[in-house]
Amino acid sequence: MKQFKKILKFELKGYLRNKIFVGFTIFLVALIAIVMFIPNIISAFESDEVTDPAPTDIPTMLVYAEDEDLASIVKEYFETTFVDYNVKLAEGNVDQLKEEIVAGNAECAFVMDSASSYTYYVNNLSMYDSNTAIADTVLQEVYRINAMIQNGLSLEQAGEIMSVQIESNTQTLGKDQMQNFFYTYIMIFALYMVILLYGQMVATNVATEKSSRAMEVLVTSAKPTAMMFGKVLASCIAGFTQLVLVFGTAILLYNVNKEALSNPLIASIFDIPIELFIYLIVFFILGFLIYAFLYGAIGSTASKLEDINTSVMPITFLFIIAFMVVMFSMSSGEIDNVAMLVCSYIPFTSPMAMFTRICMSTVAWYEIAASIAILIGSTIGIGILSAKIYRVGVLLYGTPPKIGTILKTVFKKQ
Amino acid sequence: MKLELRNINKSFGEKQVLKDVSFIAEGGKAFGLLGRNGAGKTTSIRILMNVFPANSGEVLIDGAPIDYDKIGIGYLPEERGLYPKKLIIDQLVYFAELKGMSAKDAVKAVDYWLARLGMSEYRNKKLDTLSKGNQQKIQLITALAHNPDIVILDEPFSGLDPVNAMLLKDVVKEQIAKGKIVLFSSHQMSYIEEFCDSIAIINAGKVAVSGDLHEIKRTYPRDKIVVSTQTPEKIQADFGNVCTKREDGTLLIHLATPNEKQAMMKRLVENYDVDEVKVFEPSLNDIFVEYAGAQV
Repeated sequence: MKQFKKILKFELKGYLRNKIFVGFTIFLVALIAIVMFIPNIISAFESDEVTDPAPTDIPTMLVYAEDEDLASIVKEYFETTFVDYNVKLAEGNVDQLKEEIVAGNAECAFVMDSASSYTYYVNNLSMYDSNTAIADTVLQEVYRINAMIQNGLSLEQAGEIMSVQIESNTQTLGKDQMQNFFYTYIMIFALYMVILLYGQMVATNVATEKSSRAMEVLVTSAKPTAMMFGKVLASCIAGFTQLVLVFGTAILLYNVNKEALSNPLIASIFDIPIELFIYLIVFFILGFLIYAFLYGAIGSTASKLEDINTSVMPITFLFIIAFMVVMFSMSSGEIDNVAMLVCSYIPFTSPMAMFTRICMSTVAWYEIAASIAILIGSTIGIGILSAKIYRVGVLLYGTPPKIGTILKTVFKKQ
Repeated sequence: MKLELRNINKSFGEKQVLKDVSFIAEGGKAFGLLGRNGAGKTTSIRILMNVFPANSGEVLIDGAPIDYDKIGIGYLPEERGLYPKKLIIDQLVYFAELKGMSAKDAVKAVDYWLARLGMSEYRNKKLDTLSKGNQQKIQLITALAHNPDIVILDEPFSGLDPVNAMLLKDVVKEQIAKGKIVLFSSHQMSYIEEFCDSIAIINAGKVAVSGDLHEIKRTYPRDKIVVSTQTPEKIQADFGNVCTKREDGTLLIHLATPNEKQAMMKRLVENYDVDEVKVFEPSLNDIFVEYAGAQV
């Protein structure tokens, strides 16, 4: 126990002295801070624009039709719809209009073939250009109103028919997937990033000790269990601190900038219920530990740092599969599919799968308890097993041995 | 204090690495563990240090099984290496703490040893900024700082310049004088011969010979005489076949029986211009080649 504390202290100090680790944490915190202040910064600029408007910046939209009546009706409707544009009637023919656009005098143009058919001209079509979709709706409306008037309805009657709104109300009895989607997504992603990053760090840490032969002295000074648990817990504390700093900054700045960040989407991310937050921490720590132990054990079998990448591949694959299952289930909306049900009890996948199910679906307490119990048991088991692998692995040099060979050696010893 | 390994057997998979290895090392004396590469020295040391258990056999201190919580062991491994990117003071204190020292005592002990080995100026530097020899001195501190009862030095002199080798010799002598068990493992026979009172030669996992070095030497028949002379040609001409020239230029005269020794020495001194005449004793090198060279 005394050794464990000393190892933990030494390893933690290593993280705190690691310039890359500290720098990356500061970078993340700064990034979060900037992101959280962006709405304020933007609104600061926007208020400037109001006092000093620049009408020349408003892009021009041209409307052209052979039929001048049609042209002026369309122009009228477009003016009220495309408020971001300076809608003008085009002069001359279609070729002149094209030249105007290429020259940059106008951004886009609608050439009306008839009331229900048009060609849209634009210089560079942006990925987010929704002008045609808006135009379609407007023109459809115009066409329908005209048709209704021609069939004997008055303009008022036609207007009433067109402006009918359907009233709807949604009552969520279980979980609101839409509202929980974003923070579940962020948490799963954070878990994914942190486990991969820190797992790799633990593996590299062990392999560095081995390749620098510091291990020769270490194995004679400390118990492998103390070494393994000390290292893994140190990485867990370091990772958790990093997350607390990043998310803590986010929450703090969210509350500071609450008014500017009135977006309901952002609000839904920060409105995580307390019990989900507790589950998050439980699954996070257990998931982190079980993978970190595996990574540590694998690291001990590699003699050179170059071997690490190939050695950790099976674990990384296992983890990515778990991540994919969860991500696909989340985006498909079918959270409680068979794959997720199975994954929420398998220790290596349950941290992500069960947490997602708790967030986005209704799970009975005993299911959660069973999943957590399996996970805790497996984490301890994997911890002890990896300490044993570590003990065998650290003294083997040369080509990394096969997992089977190692396990055989480990169990033969008992 | 007496350290004894008794009938140690160890197998890795199908391969038996140690077969009934036994030897005794006593406090206040240096013990040399010799053997060719792969003979089983490091495995013996690791079992002695409880890195892994033996399949059978015992490690005893004064006749009772060793208690690793009470008996401190310092180890300088043959494969040197510490944390290259960490500060020297940090890692030395860490290793001393792992061996059970308090943080305060560890710092004190490490500072003493840094000063003793003339390394104080490197205290707050990273290990990889040091030369190989200096790194080795730092590594030696990990073996000595916690004031262990048993000091195991695997090839301690390799890579050291003569001045540092002298410094290390002094440190080793000091440890022996303090009554500690100092266990040497080396291929450099001259150092072993200089320090070690008793040895064990391991060959292919078995102890080929062990015990007091002088007694081992005495078991060789005293039937050869070494002659150091400025005029070897004359003696060679007179003695013919029984006289051979050695590599260092001295002559070796083979006697029919050890009893002729006295008469032969008298004859040599009286009849020839000799600088030195002595009975041949095998060097440790000769003994090593004889025991470790065979049967492999």
